[in-house]
Amino acid sequence: MRRRTAVPAVAVGVTLGMVLAACGGGSDEGGDNQSGKAEAKQNAAVGQIFKPSTKKGGTIRYANADDFDSVDPGDTYYGYAWDFARYYCRSLTMFDTKPGDEGNKIVPDLAESLGTPSDGGKTWTYKLRSGVKFEDGTPITSKDVKYAVERSLDKSVLKNGPTYFNDLLDLQGYPGAFKDPSPDKLGLKAIETPDDQTIVFHLKEAFGGFDYIAMLPATCPVPRDKDTGSKYKEHVVSSGPYMFDTYEAGKSFSLKRNPNWDPATDPHRAALPDRIEMQLHVNANDIDNRLMSGDLDVDVQSIGVQAATQAQILNDPNLAKNTDNPTLARTWFAAINPDVAPLDNIDCRKAVLYAADHDGYLRAFGGSVGGELPTSLLPPSIPGWQDIDLYNFKEHKTGDPEAAKQSLQACGQPNGFSTNLAYRSDRPTEKAAAEALQASLAKVGIKATLKGYPSGDYFALYAGKPSYAKSNNLGIMLHGWGADWPDGYGFLSQLVDSRTIRESGGNYNLTVKDPEIDKLLDEARTKTSIEAQQPFWAQIDKKVMEDATILPGVWAKVLLYRPTRLTNVYVNEGLGGYYDFVQLGVQE
Amino acid sequence: MTIAPEPTATELTEPVGESVDGAGKIEGRSLGRIAWGRLKRDRVALAGGAIVLLLILVAILAPVIVKYLGHPPNEPHHELVDDTRGTAIGKWGGISRDYLFGVEPQSGRDLFSRVVYGARVSLLIAFLATLLSMVIGTVMGVLAGYFGGWVDTLIARTMDVFLAFPLLLFAIAIVGVIPDQAFGLRGNALRMAILIFIIGFFSWPYIGRIIRGQTLSLREREFVESARSLGARAPYIMFRELLPNLVAPILVYTTLLIPTNILFEAALSYLGVGVIPPTASWGGMLADATQSSWYRVAPNFMVFPGLAIFVTVLAFNLFGDGLRDALDPKGR
Amino acid sequence: MFRYIIRRLLASVLLLVIISMITFAIFFLVPRLAGATSDDLAARYASRAADAAQVHALSERLGLDQPIWVQYGKFVKTLVAGADYDTGTGTDHCSAPCLGYSFVTQNPVGPELLDRLPVTASLAAGACVLWLLGGVATGVMSALRKGSVFDRAAMGTALAGVSLPIFFTGLVTLSVFSYSLGWTAPGGSYTPLTQNPAQWAYDLLLPWICLAFLYAAAYARLTRSGMLETMGEDFIRTARAKGLPERTVVVKHALRSTLTPITTIFGLDLGLLLGGAVLTESTFSLPGIGKYAVDAINAHDLPKILGVVLVATIFIILANLIVDVLYAVIDPRVRLS
Repeated sequence: MRRRTAVPAVAVGVTLGMVLAACGGGSDEGGDNQSGKAEAKQNAAVGQIFKPSTKKGGTIRYANADDFDSVDPGDTYYGYAWDFARYYCRSLTMFDTKPGDEGNKIVPDLAESLGTPSDGGKTWTYKLRSGVKFEDGTPITSKDVKYAVERSLDKSVLKNGPTYFNDLLDLQGYPGAFKDPSPDKLGLKAIETPDDQTIVFHLKEAFGGFDYIAMLPATCPVPRDKDTGSKYKEHVVSSGPYMFDTYEAGKSFSLKRNPNWDPATDPHRAALPDRIEMQLHVNANDIDNRLMSGDLDVDVQSIGVQAATQAQILNDPNLAKNTDNPTLARTWFAAINPDVAPLDNIDCRKAVLYAADHDGYLRAFGGSVGGELPTSLLPPSIPGWQDIDLYNFKEHKTGDPEAAKQSLQACGQPNGFSTNLAYRSDRPTEKAAAEALQASLAKVGIKATLKGYPSGDYFALYAGKPSYAKSNNLGIMLHGWGADWPDGYGFLSQLVDSRTIRESGGNYNLTVKDPEIDKLLDEARTKTSIEAQQPFWAQIDKKVMEDATILPGVWAKVLLYRPTRLTNVYVNEGLGGYYDFVQLGVQE
Repeated sequence: MTIAPEPTATELTEPVGESVDGAGKIEGRSLGRIAWGRLKRDRVALAGGAIVLLLILVAILAPVIVKYLGHPPNEPHHELVDDTRGTAIGKWGGISRDYLFGVEPQSGRDLFSRVVYGARVSLLIAFLATLLSMVIGTVMGVLAGYFGGWVDTLIARTMDVFLAFPLLLFAIAIVGVIPDQAFGLRGNALRMAILIFIIGFFSWPYIGRIIRGQTLSLREREFVESARSLGARAPYIMFRELLPNLVAPILVYTTLLIPTNILFEAALSYLGVGVIPPTASWGGMLADATQSSWYRVAPNFMVFPGLAIFVTVLAFNLFGDGLRDALDPKGR
Repeated sequence: MFRYIIRRLLASVLLLVIISMITFAIFFLVPRLAGATSDDLAARYASRAADAAQVHALSERLGLDQPIWVQYGKFVKTLVAGADYDTGTGTDHCSAPCLGYSFVTQNPVGPELLDRLPVTASLAAGACVLWLLGGVATGVMSALRKGSVFDRAAMGTALAGVSLPIFFTGLVTLSVFSYSLGWTAPGGSYTPLTQNPAQWAYDLLLPWICLAFLYAAAYARLTRSGMLETMGEDFIRTARAKGLPERTVVVKHALRSTLTPITTIFGLDLGLLLGGAVLTESTFSLPGIGKYAVDAINAHDLPKILGVVLVATIFIILANLIVDVLYAVIDPRVRLS
């Protein structure tokens, strides 16, 4: 898999050397010589562990510029929340807690080993480890996992989570755990629990990548007698190394060690700090300042530093050495709407692609630090990626007005046309990108009027609602997508499958409606191994670009500040470019 | 904040009703003439007035000014900013002969042009909103003051309701729920119309309160009595007798309301419900300067729009104060 | 006297009702005027996986498809009698006065508001002490030394103070004093008074000063012009003629008279400020009611919005009421009107 990082070879060699030396020193609870002396360098935590440590103790302080959608594992869809959930919840499988490419591999967590497919991939069986307990000492059984999945199906009570289980399981009309008529609330036939350690999933159709689905926090076990539905988030019962201590809705919460977590059953988690504290709704600019002043350890959302802080950091080598600039499995792009005239004509759409100022788009997100100039939709970190540049973006970084004008001629609009450009008004990066795009399109006569919408409703009511987009002439809609998990299916399935498009709104696929792409997705899905699926992703990527319904903007990177207090730090590629939270330690 | 034009405890007017009727040759000076004389001697107020005039000129002549002294306000100049830092490549935020105030971070747009065009937005919205307030406020104030009784109670209570509104919140809310196209307007025209309406509509009690007070006291004066005894009806009295005597406070408080409305519009832009980007507005530029902490590495981005607001508001306040002092026989 | 208070109280309740109705109307009518159906409105609170039937069910559950008076009635009923909410596994009871549950997060609004109230109150309390003392003192001194260098300097500064938007002064001072010099706390700092009074004061120092500067400027101007006027009145001449020391003349006679209108305005200002110092809280990232309100509006979270509007209006009404009563105590003419 190709990965783009800016790590100079020398830095890698030096840090690698130090890591090896540190490993040679032996690991013990008290020893800290190795962790304290490591020298900070830019990208020191990308591809390897920076300041590896086994020293326990201390309190690690997190802040969130907003709020979690929910800490209830069955009710959350944010990548950072899934990363954070590893502190208090164990799902059937997990991404390995290793830096670099190793972090992309799935390993068993609550389960003993990866799933066993049968019936051509329509049935998946997992065996749970023995000796794993909830925070109160109750042993965890397969029924707890079944119940957890069942409750996550009910989107009227737990509305935030993803719908993979709803889509893949053979539900046969099951209404979700809260409306389950059976007395033990375990009425879902699609999940069987023949004994306390075994769980069997019956899917509607064969699906080769089910181990990724088993990794979702929805499979974290939930004890039925402690479930309080929409209030469960106020005290989630832990199956991991930490349990909830305090919880103030909308303000803060904290976790302390779970006395009933047995490290012998959990080979992957380091669990170094004694306490974890989270503050919510902290101003984003202040998060940056506090990270740099040492008053904060982690920005949990990992959105990266603000634009001005980036300038400050890049100008100061003393700050720059404490940063990491990992590549994410994410693309920022503009969706071009074939429902809105004259963009129903493919040449008019191509004109937009040709005229766009790709460099300006990238600058809006921070230039070469913010990402890479893209030539197609699929980001390079997805296995199976291939270099596709149908419109010569690399040669015409600031746009190709000649080719654009030719396309305009071909689609019958030689003098350009008017349309509306939608973006999320509370995101300064999207605003800047929208303005850059508007300026470059104006050069060939395409008059784009900016329309800003609040991000909370953007997909529910505006850009993501086909009837609204059409009647309001939203020809171009800014968007951004990070893979749910770093493989082609995790990136593409919600984004380019036309059958996911709902009239009622809430769509993430705004503009891609191509039956051939749907067919390719279906074919890929039936392959029983992840490797066998890979060739399809590049084919789909190429077809998307041929359809010209997506204008790629940035293959995203993020500039993270790494406070000097953190130990055992590295970026987990599988989780999507965040630090591996559950492995972090703090030095006093 | 309630302090718009600060209502002093004084009654402001001297009725002009006793003006010369053409009967005698004694040329009594009208209030206007007296006031003008006083104003001419108040140099600070004159300075304020001059700046106000200058600003209005700048706003009107913006396209011309920008044509000769700057670049189109929405035109990006990426070659002038660093691509990863976003800050200007030149010193002091890119200030040069070509770019008088420097450039905006990331986009490289000409800050000078944007500030000049921003004057248009701020002044237009503030003027029209104040006009709206003045009209509504005067009408309501005169009605309440003249008729008294239940009319007065109703209007006074309504003013209470308006003053009790968490204003900023309602402004944000209303802008958020207005559809894309309404009343035959769309885009920026619609947005500005809404802002003018909101600011003007919620500010009228400031003037209304003052006018009501003035009317209440004027109504007891002899010239009103005599008009009534001559058979004049209410509309005549209100328009021909009371109104001319209210010109002074109306003028003063309207002038003092303008800076408040400028600040109000800046605040709304700052909170994200101002004019639609990329149109420049002073409050919007300040908001951008805060959003990503740009002010810390590109201070010009914050300083120039901020100064523009400051100078404008100061000038109006100085002039308005001077006007009030000139028209008020007691106060100085 | 008693009847006066009763009358004002009744008027206040009416005011509260009117304002809550208007809030309701804004969020009910305007979207519908734009053509949105109640299902459209419910969609913004539903899961993105919900299909049309589930969205419709949510619309019914939140009561969005009811006519406005039914919805308003439900709101009032919830306020005075409490309500039950379905959590999926059971019901949760919210006791009166119940401000409802957030449409977006399902967290109860009341406790969240109560949490944020102390922040706004702290901000207002500290600032108002500073601006009252500073503003009035400056105004009095300016009036007494009319035309002097002090007078001109003070009034010049005051004029500058009312001409600067708070978010500008806030930004500049943060930049200089907090980040460059490190003398004051960075934005977003807040420690509850009960936890650590010294830290509480330190964290709020810069917001207090900025906010107070803005108001002090206005009050200085007001006090000065009021004092100048009063000092020219006859009863002051009489007091002086009686041989009273100048200090007594100024403080006991002139100031008393000047302060009356200032008290009125102070009450109003304080009330408004408690209703949510939106701009200041935004600039300094303080987790008070103002910021809460702005976030709620952007998310169209009607229960939160109504909660904030109610609390804000109550403060304004209280302030008005206290001021009116004080006025009635001081000035007998008011009672009789």
